Amino acid sequence: MAGLLLGVLLGWTGWLKLTAPAAESSALVELLHDTRLVRRALRTLGAVELAVAAGLLGGLAAAGWAAAALGVGFLGYLAWARAVAPDASCGCASARHTPVTARSFGRAGLVVLAGSWAAVGRPWWTVEPLAAAVTAAAGLALVLALSADLDHLWLLPLRRARLRLLGHPLSTSDGGNPVAASVQLLESSLAWESAAGVVRSALLESWDDAGWRFLRFAGVAAGRPVTVVFALAAESTVDTVTDPVVRVTVVDDERQEVVGDLLPLVR
Amino acid sequence: MSAPMDRRRFLTGAALGGATIVGASALGALDAEAAYASTRSTLDPGVIESAFAEGRIGAIQGALLVVAGSWGETHKVQLTNATSVWKLRPTSAKEIEIGDGMYGRGVRMPDGTIAADAVWVNIVNLECTVAGIAADRLQLAHDKHAVLGRLIAGTTVASYNGGALTSDLSRLKIGQAVRVLGAWRPADDSVDVAQLTVAA
Repeated sequence: MAGLLLGVLLGWTGWLKLTAPAAESSALVELLHDTRLVRRALRTLGAVELAVAAGLLGGLAAAGWAAAALGVGFLGYLAWARAVAPDASCGCASARHTPVTARSFGRAGLVVLAGSWAAVGRPWWTVEPLAAAVTAAAGLALVLALSADLDHLWLLPLRRARLRLLGHPLSTSDGGNPVAASVQLLESSLAWESAAGVVRSALLESWDDAGWRFLRFAGVAAGRPVTVVFALAAESTVDTVTDPVVRVTVVDDERQEVVGDLLPLVR
Repeated sequence: MSAPMDRRRFLTGAALGGATIVGASALGALDAEAAYASTRSTLDPGVIESAFAEGRIGAIQGALLVVAGSWGETHKVQLTNATSVWKLRPTSAKEIEIGDGMYGRGVRMPDGTIAADAVWVNIVNLECTVAGIAADRLQLAHDKHAVLGRLIAGTTVASYNGGALTSDLSRLKIGQAVRVLGAWRPADDSVDVAQLTVAA
């Protein structure tokens, strides 16, 4: 039974490597320094995998051992890739960019186990249909679970279904207009534009008082350090207001007094 | 009443007595999001030229940050009480730790130090796909790398279709493309999420 499953798996990965080798993102680039060589290496490996797959499907014990040897090779390659190029793609099963993780190791280990099993076990076509179906389903589930590149086929739909069944875990709102929304509105206002030559810092602090929201910034005016305070309606956002109404004042930090006529658009 | 509260009361009065300006503009942000945009061009030629620094904080000497830049250079970044410090939210210089990453904007002094106007600590800006949604976190995929995004009640906000930032996170969907602005946590390599921008 292992021979059939592994034969299909290696046939698939071998075909992908042969027809669409993901040479640019493979960790092999670190070793061979030439994407042409990497592509040739991946194609060769793909051809070997296809040959081993054919042997497995034909029930050859030698093909089982060859597959196990391939698995040991994959494990060594993954350990090496993890050490030298942790961000590179393993390039194991497809052209998708899939970094080397514990799942990649699990899948390579599975190749070793299944190869050995295929070598010593009965030919797959002599297994009873029920046992064959159960083993095939279990094997398929294991391969899916160990393949990050196949998550979009089952994991995301599963999570979507869970959200539909159990409801969305995130609330619609936790009350009040967030300060970030007031800053967003301020930044789309004429008041902000008029103060652009004065304001130097990002938001220093904010506070609410009597329906107003106050946003404090630091700046420089006429060479002197100043505080710029904007006041706008606490609940206003870019969704509710098209022409924001903003009060703005500039305070000289050392003299603690309001500085007038600094903002060019104030009339 | 404490001195900061006194000052707030003074500023509250001053602001309400200030000029009222009505109208919209497309000038845009100076904030954390803008830290990743191109250098802000000012409308006023008299305004001081900005200097930028980015890297990992190797030492904190009083109010001076010694920063190892990504290109091997060293920045000395001086904080003042006029410097804004962002670490997930506006905060104080006390929250900055050795090992944090930083992005800063300021003015270059004659001795080469940068007097910082604004510092963003551990800020990251990632294009991601939502791969999982839980009550306190998002599983995100960034270029096929898994990223854990922590949702912080009262802080995490989202904008849908260019709309206003809101604490309503119930419109997030699995498979959606989102831009994640947040603070990276060096300890466990997760991201505390400040803002999510959802295109559709």
